[in-house]
Amino acid sequence: MCGILAVLGCSDDSQAKRVRVLKHRGPDWSGLHQHGDCYLAHQRLAIIDPASGDQPLFNEDKTVAVTVNGEIYNHEELRKKLVNHKFRTGSDCDVIAHLYEEHGEDFVDMLDGIFSFVLLDTRDNSFIVAHDAVGVTSLYIGWGLDGSVWISSELKGLNDDCEHFECFPPGHLYSSKSGGFRRWYNPPWFSEAIPSVPYDPLVLRRAFENAVTKRLMTDVPFGVLLSGGLDSSLVASITARYLADTKAAKQWGAQLHSFCVGLEGSPDLKAAKEVADYLGTVHHEFHFTVQDGIDAIEDVIYHVETYDVTTIRASTPMFLMSRKIKSLGVKMVISGEGSDEIFGGYLYFHKAPSKDEFHRETCHKIKALHQYDCLRANKATSAWGLEARVPFLDKEFINVAMSIDPEAKMIKKDEGRIEKWVLRRAFDDEKHPYLPKHILYRQKEQFSDGVGYSWIDGLKAHAARHVTDKMMFNASYIFPHNTPTTKEAYYYRTIFERFFPQNSARLTVPGGASVACSTAKAVEWDAAWKNNLDPSGRAALGVHLSAYDTETSLNNKPSKVIDSIPRMMEIPGVAVQI
Amino acid sequence: MCGILAVFGCVDNSQAKRSRIIELSRRLRHRGPDWSGLHCHQDCYLAHQRLAIVDPASGDQPLYNEDKSVVVTVNGEIYNHNQLKEKLNSHQFRTGSDCEVIAHLYEEYGEDFVDMLDGMFSFVLLDTRDKSFIAARDAIGITPLYIGWGLDGSVWFASEMKALSDDCERFMSFLPGHIYSSKQGEIRRWYNPPWYLEKIPSTPYDPKVLRETFEKACFKPCALALAVFKRLMTDVPFGVLLSGGLDSSLVAAVAARYLAYSEAACQWGSQLHTFCVGLKGSPDLKAAREVADYIGTRHHEFHFTVQEGIDALEEVIYHIETYDVTTIRASTPMFLMSRKIKSLGVKMVLSGEGSDEIFGGYLYFHKAPNKEEFHEETSRKIKALHLYDCLRANKSTSAWGLEARVPFLDKEFINVAMSIDPEWKMIRPDLGRIEKWVLRNAFDDDQKPYLPKHILYRQKEQFSDGVGYSWIDAIIYLHILYRQKEQFSDGVGYSWIDGLKDHAEKQVTDTMLMNASFIYPENTPTTKEGYYYRTIFEKFFPKNAARSTVPGGPSVACSTAKAVEWDAAWAKNPDPSGRAALGVHASAYEETIDANAMDLIKSPSRKIQKGIEEKTATA
Repeated sequence: MCGILAVLGCSDDSQAKRVRVLKHRGPDWSGLHQHGDCYLAHQRLAIIDPASGDQPLFNEDKTVAVTVNGEIYNHEELRKKLVNHKFRTGSDCDVIAHLYEEHGEDFVDMLDGIFSFVLLDTRDNSFIVAHDAVGVTSLYIGWGLDGSVWISSELKGLNDDCEHFECFPPGHLYSSKSGGFRRWYNPPWFSEAIPSVPYDPLVLRRAFENAVTKRLMTDVPFGVLLSGGLDSSLVASITARYLADTKAAKQWGAQLHSFCVGLEGSPDLKAAKEVADYLGTVHHEFHFTVQDGIDAIEDVIYHVETYDVTTIRASTPMFLMSRKIKSLGVKMVISGEGSDEIFGGYLYFHKAPSKDEFHRETCHKIKALHQYDCLRANKATSAWGLEARVPFLDKEFINVAMSIDPEAKMIKKDEGRIEKWVLRRAFDDEKHPYLPKHILYRQKEQFSDGVGYSWIDGLKAHAARHVTDKMMFNASYIFPHNTPTTKEAYYYRTIFERFFPQNSARLTVPGGASVACSTAKAVEWDAAWKNNLDPSGRAALGVHLSAYDTETSLNNKPSKVIDSIPRMMEIPGVAVQI
Repeated sequence: MCGILAVFGCVDNSQAKRSRIIELSRRLRHRGPDWSGLHCHQDCYLAHQRLAIVDPASGDQPLYNEDKSVVVTVNGEIYNHNQLKEKLNSHQFRTGSDCEVIAHLYEEYGEDFVDMLDGMFSFVLLDTRDKSFIAARDAIGITPLYIGWGLDGSVWFASEMKALSDDCERFMSFLPGHIYSSKQGEIRRWYNPPWYLEKIPSTPYDPKVLRETFEKACFKPCALALAVFKRLMTDVPFGVLLSGGLDSSLVAAVAARYLAYSEAACQWGSQLHTFCVGLKGSPDLKAAREVADYIGTRHHEFHFTVQEGIDALEEVIYHIETYDVTTIRASTPMFLMSRKIKSLGVKMVLSGEGSDEIFGGYLYFHKAPNKEEFHEETSRKIKALHLYDCLRANKSTSAWGLEARVPFLDKEFINVAMSIDPEWKMIRPDLGRIEKWVLRNAFDDDQKPYLPKHILYRQKEQFSDGVGYSWIDAIIYLHILYRQKEQFSDGVGYSWIDGLKDHAEKQVTDTMLMNASFIYPENTPTTKEGYYYRTIFEKFFPKNAARSTVPGGPSVACSTAKAVEWDAAWAKNPDPSGRAALGVHASAYEETIDANAMDLIKSPSRKIQKGIEEKTATA
């Protein structure tokens, strides 16, 4: 991941401004392009063409400047189409300036990849900003009192200088000419109409294999994050299978490296080891202690820029692991985020009353990904200059997966269909098995729990020592917006507020009514849940969840469910977020 | 390089304190991006930010003895750790880290083991049994270390000032070659080599001994690096900073040769990588390319623009922690290059600092009246290295998690080089001996040449910026003049310094400069460039103690004032304010120095004058 920062139309164009803009920097190189009162800054993590691809990038006559964070997987095809253009660098992002020249503002959908970019057309001093379809990269937009518009990959790049700022909506384009946002991403599933394409395992498999292999485009060493669950195991399996034929393998060897993090003896470590042994990867295990994690919390919140409890819990081990991975010289990892949203992998999908509801819920989930798992995967790794690529969120793959008649995705225990059955089935190849059957059909734990049961307990105990009952009592006065309802949440919130004290900052974190609304639908799936929409009815929700939990035979102790499997259930998430 | 931070005896040992220590330690994270560790024992904290070079898998710090009663946090490399481990055969080692020996040596020998370490290091060791602690820094100060005192009675140690400047009432550079012991409550010198007394040595010059010692000095860090890289998952090479001058070229030539020999043994097929930085078309780039082609290294050139350099200044000053004009000028290109090097996956580079000090490579040594004076001056130079070239080399690379190793400052090599009868080091144009002749001659191997003769005997730029002393006296200004044509900041491209000056000119008004002595009574900046750097420095490090860590005071002036006496004409003008007069003398000197220098100085006299004024001005 790179970092971008652009300031457009600020009244002060002094050296002080230059320095201010440069303050936020990335590991490999930084570039700043100034044109009048517009600044395009870039902090580069060099993955493709480390030698010459420094940014900002330009068109031939340097009238169009662009600063990009991202990877364009189809850049070679696009280059072929742009025959009469001359490219200065080997960077995959070089195509953007030229596409703009050729197609004006309407080229964004031609890009296949993850990206956020700012493009400045110096001929008429107009600019456009775009964010990838699902929001795999992070992007914020802000406005200064002097009339300037600020764009930054992270909140910390602009929060001190903007009067107001917010998340840049994924799949959108901001154009200075029209002065507003416009959605460029219009796939069939976005309207939430119920699709009817019959499920074809081979089509799905091929689509996912494509999504993985196109992400092997790299000039630097890479690996896969392997928690031992279905999603990451599939990613690892496909990568291992196709690695040998890639350009990367010629440079870095055909041995795939896989990485797993956990407290000593944690379930993830065990599961991942099993998969790694099966696939024959060079497997790296990282152990951390609860104290290591607690010591990192401030850092995690600073980097991940959220106070969402479950995101912080899950980000911390990932953050620690990323540092270790980077120290081995690895710059890019492939990760399994997004599958649960696309296929309804969360347990509450068991209760989906109809395929229509099921499908709509998955749509909502995908649309909210940029505030949860994408944010975590992107920022926890970027904190150490590591790039995470998420094949499940490939544009084409989402189209294929979301056009399947949701009837096929429905969880039907009587027919032996557990959650994500369509995905499991697609990779159930008897002749060339991707994974052993018991792993392919295993119901696994989610991130924060898989790293070790005592992690969450440790966090809660730590928070309890630092947040008094009196503090909790006054919480709603101190934090009227998204009031923390647990000591843990309160603890995170105080840290967040210290780094990002602005009102706009706390509004970028979900938990408000809008998110609650979108999943409120799902709450209706069970009458028992519905009775507990009251945010304070958290304990009651817990009871119901645990009741449900025993029903679906997970091994978690009922009393722990609500706090220990937060992201997986999402419903407790709702409670926190209301 | 790693980053260390240690706090002893703070009154408050709550979670808030722990968080604070973590926060402060994080300010050193650029030095050790790979992992961090914190050990807390009652009111004592030892924090560590790690750059993993040896044993990436298990060597996380702090490190312990067997029963964990002795805790140590180290920034450095111990080259002779294997030998030391053999001596400690009754001890059990937990990790493969080279620094682990320190805890065990302490157990075995108490506080008197520091001189047994061969390498570069600064460390803090806590003995939890009696809650005593020691801190020590390597012989020359290749690694940085600061000591500070808090109002609550706490004692602080940190690799960089930024980690303790906010929390200490007073702090200062920890003297190189010294050890602080809480039992004695004082700092004493552990480094006592023969040359330290500045007695005149009499060992005859033996080129072979000098060469072999230097080769060994280069092998040690290389060998340690090779041991490491074998363990890394990717084929990560180390490299050499190659400016094309004598010193860096020798380092590259020796390292390349060593790699070739050891290649088969460690089945590590890579070539040596060399790196050079400069403005496009700069002299360094050209010279380095020539050397790289000759040695056959995989050479990387990095070009930067003046604007990129200017944009980096704030960060450079934040990282280097100085307002010394010449250090900042020379650090900036190195800082930019380090980032690029690190982005290629390289974690360690060899660099050529120290040779000019040891061999009297600066131009003014031409005027050394006798061997005694010559030798004393080199000794003084070496003792002050930690404030100038070591500081630059260490901090501008560490800013990006790159480690610089300096074979010329190897303990053994210094001993050998400084035991040579200085008569041999004297510059004798009549005998065909130009500066650093003993070094050049040592590597003049006709059968298997290290470097082509014209490079070996070329009077060329050095990577090092010996100009740190610039402002103090006439000779040195003159010397800079000479070297400016050739030394680092200029070697990267002539317009770099001009660009900096132009930029400062725009930022600093005449009135600002006029009032400079009131605003900055200590080390008053006398040029706009100096003023500009100073304002940035003060923004990051506003405390009195911070500005005192930067040399420029009378003590440094005293130490080289000796050399001013070498020429009657210079001696007449010891007053730093005698700027104009100095200029005149500068040109007078021009006529007397050798032809080579003449060529270099034959620029328009106006420019010389300007250069001199500016150097003086930095006083």
